[in-house]
Amino acid sequence: MDELLLSKVRLGVVAELLNFDWVAFSELVRALDVSNGNLGAHMTKLVDAGYVEEVKSFVNRRPLTRFRLTARGRAAFAAHVSQLQALLKEAT
Amino acid sequence: MKQSNLGPDVPGRLPLDAAHAHDHLEMVDRILSEWQPRLCSGGEYFVVWGVASAYMTVLLHLVGRGLLPAAALWSGPIVLAASTIFSIVRSRAARRVAARTSLIEREFFNVLWVTLGLAFIVNVAANRIFAGLAGAAIWSVAQAIVLLYIGMHGNRRAQIAGLLVIVSLVVANFAQPGAAAYVLAAGMLAGYAGFGLSELLARD
Repeated sequence: MDELLLSKVRLGVVAELLNFDWVAFSELVRALDVSNGNLGAHMTKLVDAGYVEEVKSFVNRRPLTRFRLTARGRAAFAAHVSQLQALLKEAT
Repeated sequence: MKQSNLGPDVPGRLPLDAAHAHDHLEMVDRILSEWQPRLCSGGEYFVVWGVASAYMTVLLHLVGRGLLPAAALWSGPIVLAASTIFSIVRSRAARRVAARTSLIEREFFNVLWVTLGLAFIVNVAANRIFAGLAGAAIWSVAQAIVLLYIGMHGNRRAQIAGLLVIVSLVVANFAQPGAAAYVLAAGMLAGYAGFGLSELLARD
């Protein structure tokens, strides 16, 4: 199983990004109901692993950080969900 | 199992047990089911291009019939260029500040640019092949494709607007030669620009 996606927050981030081209950091904080610091730490791990791409910009002098899922992240998510489903099937 | 120094939230729970797997899958299901695909984030594009294409149709018709001097044709490229510049500037600005941009929205913009781009080329670069009302009819077909594409993703207003454009195309085909251009232009205004207006009103 993909250890990186065993975290509920990181799995949630990948699921949130699945249908989107780009999602802002603030949107992920709101959607997942986590603190900025907590999400920031999880995002660093996802970016470092190459699952998520990060782009920083400024809008009206305010920083805007946006994320998108990479092909690697998408494949990892699909494999992880399959494994979770298999685990559940085995258990029942 | 894949070894990594990136630990899970709950140490000592590797691999996940069935209860946690169920919990995680439920969360994924909830996130994915909450997603409401929404196309057409910019009603203003439809208003601008609906009006521009209707203007071009009527302009070419009036010049062709000698009701306006040939010099009036110069306003056509100016209107098209202004619409293009508006669309590029507006979409760049919108993309820069968007908190979320869905994949389906990106697909929609691709369809929009390809269809309208082709219609633009037909009207500007291939105007001798598509002479008379043929260029305007191709605008209508392109607009109907865009509207019905949006309609396919559940937008009722787009379905109705797409049908309106198609109906105008058919009616124009059987209308008096002098009235056909006005029918096509009316379809562009009511269907394409009208849809844009309804989207803007719904958004605000």
